[in-house]
Amino acid sequence: MADSAANASPIREVQIEALVVMRIIKHSTSAFPTPATGCLVGMDIPSSAGTQLQVTNCFPFPASVPEQSQQDQYYQADAAALAAAAPRAKSNVGYQNEMIKLMREVNVDAQSVGWYTSTSMGNFVNLNFVENQAFLQKQADERTSVALVFDVSRSASGSLSLKAYRLSESFMTSYKEAKFSTESLQKSGLRYQDILIEIPIQIHNSHLLTSFLHSLPTPPPEKATLDFPSSLADLSHDPYTTSNPLAPNLDALDLSIDPFLEKTTDLLLDSIEAHQIEQNNAQYYQRSLAREQAKITAWQTKRKQENQLRQQQKQPLLDETEWTKLFKLPQEPSRLESLLVGRQVEQYSRQVDAFAATVSGKMFGVRGGLVPGGNAD
Amino acid sequence: MANNYLHLARPLAPATVSSQSLSTAPVAVTIQPQALFSILDHASRRPADQDRVIGTLLGVRSEDGTEVEIRNCYAVPHTETTEQVEVDMDYQKQMLALHLRSAPKEVLVGWYATSRELNTFSALIQNFYGQQGEGTWPFPAVHLTASTTAGQDVQVDTYISAPIGVTAERAADSCVFIPVPHEIKYGDAEKSGLELIAGARDREDRSQLIPSDVETLERAVESVLEMLERVSNYVSNVLDEEAEPSSALGQYLMNTLSLAPKVQPEEIEKDFNNHIQDVLLVSYLANTIRTQIDLSNRLATATLTMGGGEGTSNTTGGEQKPRRDGQQQQRSGGQRS
Repeated sequence: MADSAANASPIREVQIEALVVMRIIKHSTSAFPTPATGCLVGMDIPSSAGTQLQVTNCFPFPASVPEQSQQDQYYQADAAALAAAAPRAKSNVGYQNEMIKLMREVNVDAQSVGWYTSTSMGNFVNLNFVENQAFLQKQADERTSVALVFDVSRSASGSLSLKAYRLSESFMTSYKEAKFSTESLQKSGLRYQDILIEIPIQIHNSHLLTSFLHSLPTPPPEKATLDFPSSLADLSHDPYTTSNPLAPNLDALDLSIDPFLEKTTDLLLDSIEAHQIEQNNAQYYQRSLAREQAKITAWQTKRKQENQLRQQQKQPLLDETEWTKLFKLPQEPSRLESLLVGRQVEQYSRQVDAFAATVSGKMFGVRGGLVPGGNAD
Repeated sequence: MANNYLHLARPLAPATVSSQSLSTAPVAVTIQPQALFSILDHASRRPADQDRVIGTLLGVRSEDGTEVEIRNCYAVPHTETTEQVEVDMDYQKQMLALHLRSAPKEVLVGWYATSRELNTFSALIQNFYGQQGEGTWPFPAVHLTASTTAGQDVQVDTYISAPIGVTAERAADSCVFIPVPHEIKYGDAEKSGLELIAGARDREDRSQLIPSDVETLERAVESVLEMLERVSNYVSNVLDEEAEPSSALGQYLMNTLSLAPKVQPEEIEKDFNNHIQDVLLVSYLANTIRTQIDLSNRLATATLTMGGGEGTSNTTGGEQKPRRDGQQQQRSGGQRS
C-alpha cells in the first residue's frame, strides 16, 4: 500500500509571476485549438514548510519541427501531435538549452522548472501528458518540475483556469519499471486518483507591475467627481467609462449552458469508448490466458499418466516441467490507459459539478429576476 | 488616451530618393499587456549599475505599415558609459532567430528602453533598429520608453523617428523622435487573467490564489449588486432633489431598463425547468460514469485477493457493459430534450 509520505509532493506551492500567466494565455489562445506547450523557468526556494516553486518566466516551444523531407500537407495533420510531444522532443531540448543560456545573460532565473500546456474542457489526462511530465520528473536534477495546465475554453467563460500538477511518487516508481499489470497494481495499491497531485497556485506581481496596474490605462482623474455627460453620445465616448481595461469582468455571469453540456457529454462518451476498448483488451487477454492454461493442464495430466505408465514399466521418467518451454503465456496488456481514463472521467465529473453549482445559482437568479414572486416556492 | 497628436509626413532616411515605396504615413501602436509586463520584469532585473536596459519589440504590422501591434519582446544586454554604448548584436540576432522559430508571424518592429530619457545613444540604437537589411526598413522602427523610477507612476510613451543631420556622419547618430499614439489592448481570453492579476494589486503581499468558479461568480454578483446600489442611491438622491440630475444619465438608464425582455412567466418557468434538468442530469450521469469506471477498475485489480480467480472479473466486466450502454442512450435522450 502506498503510504501518504511517499505521495506527498516535494513542492508546497507554485508561485507564478503575472508575466507568465499572460504569456501562457497569449500563446495558448493564439494556438487554439492546437495544444500549445512551452517551458517554464524560475527557481525553487526550499523552506521548512516545503519547497516553494517560483515561476518567473516562460517561453513557447516551436509548434512544429521543420523537416525538409516531409511534405507540407503531412505537417498540418500532425500539428497537434507534434505540439503535444514537444517538451520531450530531441530538437526542443537544444532549443530550450539555447534559450535558457541566452536568458541567463539578462539576469532571468535560468533554471527549467517545468512546462505548460493548453487544453480544452479539461481534456488533458492522456499518455502524452504523463510521458512529458515523467520525462522531466525522471531527471535527477529536475525533481521539482511541474506541469501547468491552462484551460482555454473554460477561461474564456469567466474565471481563469490554470492548474499545476505533478505525478505522484508511487506512480513514478511504477512508471519507471513500466509495470502496469494487474499484479503490480495490487502490490503498489496505485489508484487513478493517485496519479496526479494538484499543487496550489499563487499569482504574484512585482512592485513595478503593481505600480503600473494602478495607473492603467489613464491616471485616476484629478477631480473628485466627474462632470455629468451632456448627452447620450458623450457618455459612450467618455474615456473614463469606456476604455478601462480593468473594468469589472462580468463574463462569469454569462448564461450559456448548452455548449458546455454538449461538449462535456461528447468528451465523456469518448472516455467511455476508450474504457470499453481497454476492457475488451483485458477480456481478450483473459480468454486467451484461460485457453492456454487449459492446454497446459491437459498436457500436464497427459504427461503424468505417461509417467505413471513408465514407472510401472520401470522406464526413466519424463520431465514434468517441460511445459514452460512448449507453451507461452500471453502478455498482459498494460493497465495504464484504463487508469488514465479513470482519472480523465474524474476530471470531467468534477468540472461538471463545479459548472452545475454556478449555473444553477445563476439560473435561479434569472428566474427570480424575471418572474416576480417566483422566489416564493 | 486623451492626448492629441499632430501627424506630419516625414522623410524616412537621408538621400533616399529611390524607387522603393517608402512609408511615411503616421503609425498607430497597440501594445499587448504581456509585452509591457515583460518590459517591467526586465526593468526590475537590470544590473545594479545600469540606469536603463533595452530590448527588442516583436509584433505584427499591417500591410501598409500604419498599424503596429506589439505582442512580445525580449531583453538585449547592453553597456552604456558616458562616451559610448555597446549593444550585443550577436545576442540580438540569436534571440530573434529563436523567437522566429516558435512564432514565425511575429517580426521585429522596434525596441524599448526603461527610462524616459531620449539621448544620442537612443538615436544611435534607433538607427540600428531602423536600418536596412536586418532592421525594420522600409518601415520605421518603433521606440517605446517606460519610466521605471521608484516611487513614480509607470509612464509609457512610443516614438518613431525621422533622420536629421547635415552630413552622413551626423545623420548616423542622430534622429528626431516623433511621439505616436499608443493604446493597450487585450483579448477576451486575457481578460480573466488580467482581472486576477489586477485583483492582487491592492494587496500587501502582491499575490493571490486562483479562485474557484463559484468564488468568481460570487465576486461578479457582488460587484453587480454594488453597482446597482450606487445607481439606485443616485436616482433616489435625484428624486429627493439632493443630487444634481442629468438628462443624459437618465436617458441611458431608461435605455438599459428597456433591455429587460418581456416574456410570459409560464415560458420562463418552462425554459428554466428544462435547462436545470439538463444540467443536473449531465452532472448526475458524469458522476455515475465515474463511479462505474472506478468500480470496474477496482474489480479488475481486486479479484485475485478475493480468491475468486480471474473468472470473477470477467463476469463482472461482462455484466457492466450492457448497463453502461443503457446509460449512453439515456444520456443522448437527455441531451435532446
